[in-house]
Amino acid sequence: MITDEPIIVVEDLVKTFSTPDRTFNALDGISTTINKGEVVVVIGPSGSGKSTFIRSLNLLEVPTSGKIFFEGEDITGKNVDINRHRQRMGMVFQHFNLFPHKTVLQNIIMAPQSLKRMSKHDAEQKGMELLAMVHLEEKAGSYPAQLSGGQKQRIAIARSLAMEPEVMLFDEPTSALDPEMVGEVLDIMKALAKDGMTMVVVTHEMGFAKEVGDRVIFVNEGKILEENSPEKLFGNPKDPRLQDFLSKVLV
Amino acid sequence: MFEWFRNLFLLIGDKFYDNFIKDDRWTYLTNGLKTTMLILVLAFVIGIILGFLIAVVRSTHDMDGKWGFANWICKLYLTVIRGTPVVVQLMIIYFVIFKAVTLEKFIVGGIAFGLNSAAYVAEIFRSGIMSIDKGQMEAGRSLGFNYRQTMLKIIMPQAFKNVLPALGNEIITLFKETSVAGYIGMMDLTKGGDIIRSKTYDGFFPLIAVALVYLVIVIIMTKLLELLERRLRRSDH
Repeated sequence: MITDEPIIVVEDLVKTFSTPDRTFNALDGISTTINKGEVVVVIGPSGSGKSTFIRSLNLLEVPTSGKIFFEGEDITGKNVDINRHRQRMGMVFQHFNLFPHKTVLQNIIMAPQSLKRMSKHDAEQKGMELLAMVHLEEKAGSYPAQLSGGQKQRIAIARSLAMEPEVMLFDEPTSALDPEMVGEVLDIMKALAKDGMTMVVVTHEMGFAKEVGDRVIFVNEGKILEENSPEKLFGNPKDPRLQDFLSKVLV
Repeated sequence: MFEWFRNLFLLIGDKFYDNFIKDDRWTYLTNGLKTTMLILVLAFVIGIILGFLIAVVRSTHDMDGKWGFANWICKLYLTVIRGTPVVVQLMIIYFVIFKAVTLEKFIVGGIAFGLNSAAYVAEIFRSGIMSIDKGQMEAGRSLGFNYRQTMLKIIMPQAFKNVLPALGNEIITLFKETSVAGYIGMMDLTKGGDIIRSKTYDGFFPLIAVALVYLVIVIIMTKLLELLERRLRRSDH
């Protein structure tokens, strides 16, 4: 399903954070291209900048310098309506961030209803289809507080999909889950990948990276140290820090 | 012994008659309560609207550093209002600011108490907005909602639910604070009781009656707030 049509192009991305006692580059010159239909998995030790990287792609973090092109348009430029671009980039968070005051179905239909001017009926119909896709139709009327972590994350995925995005960004989607719930979320993500969704996934799930990833990027100290197909990156890592990292996570 | 009780009851009956029945003196209390409620409603509306606006300015500044000047004005306002007694503010507004303007007294009172309450309401709302996890703002923005839409649809409804107890407390405080309205010659509930006292030279009955009216209304307000809170808590189970 991978095409050679670029959808996100990142050019020399730098993000500098300043705290009272130090200044450091969370991202230190990252460049890469993500093609339509591609599943890119970003791995790296904690504090490596991988979360900052994925959050920069929809400008939740505003880059200090560098450019990000989404569907050909530089979204870091001035006078860019970022809200319009974000409607086409779904994002799933580590801590789900469902809206606790809304039911599951309301969580899903909110954005399409008010941003796409979809009628309530159409939005609900679409919402129920998405709920069926994540196997949670019976939870439509529940509130997030009544759901397990795995269920919450599946709803969060459905909520993002309701806007029919071109790309899905996953920021450690299974890191906050109990181990027995990781599988149900990964299964949904695998199904999405199979359907041809373009995905960028920050994760510690190396099994997922191997099985689903078209390309794996290893980030350390704000730099891409190695990127390759999962077979090559896991089978024959070249960078010493990647070798060290893999020796710790692949037990 | 029996004689003693009989005399006591007769005395209480006489006092009650003197203080409330004679010359329809009870109307000082009912008219006073009407004035108190008018001030309360007006002050509450002003307090909520102005407090909300100040809270939006302050928390937007807290979150992304915008609106520095407006934030400075708001902080100055909060400092002055919270740093001076409400009765002094009331007198300044009546005797100085509205000196040359003829307005119904309850309107002046409502404005004064409203401007005062706004400062407290603003900080209550701001604490509510800041108490919402920043992931909520990020989730809203990542779906494509702009800042204002995310605030209105996602942050505010949750913040409102969280601050309801504090807001209820503020209404109750405000209601009782209006009892100083007599300082600008308003015939509110407290003043009504005081007028009866000055006519009958008896403090006990009119003042206890005034206290009871305040108490009963506060109890009713508390019950209503509890009901509202319970309704809004439905999504929390």
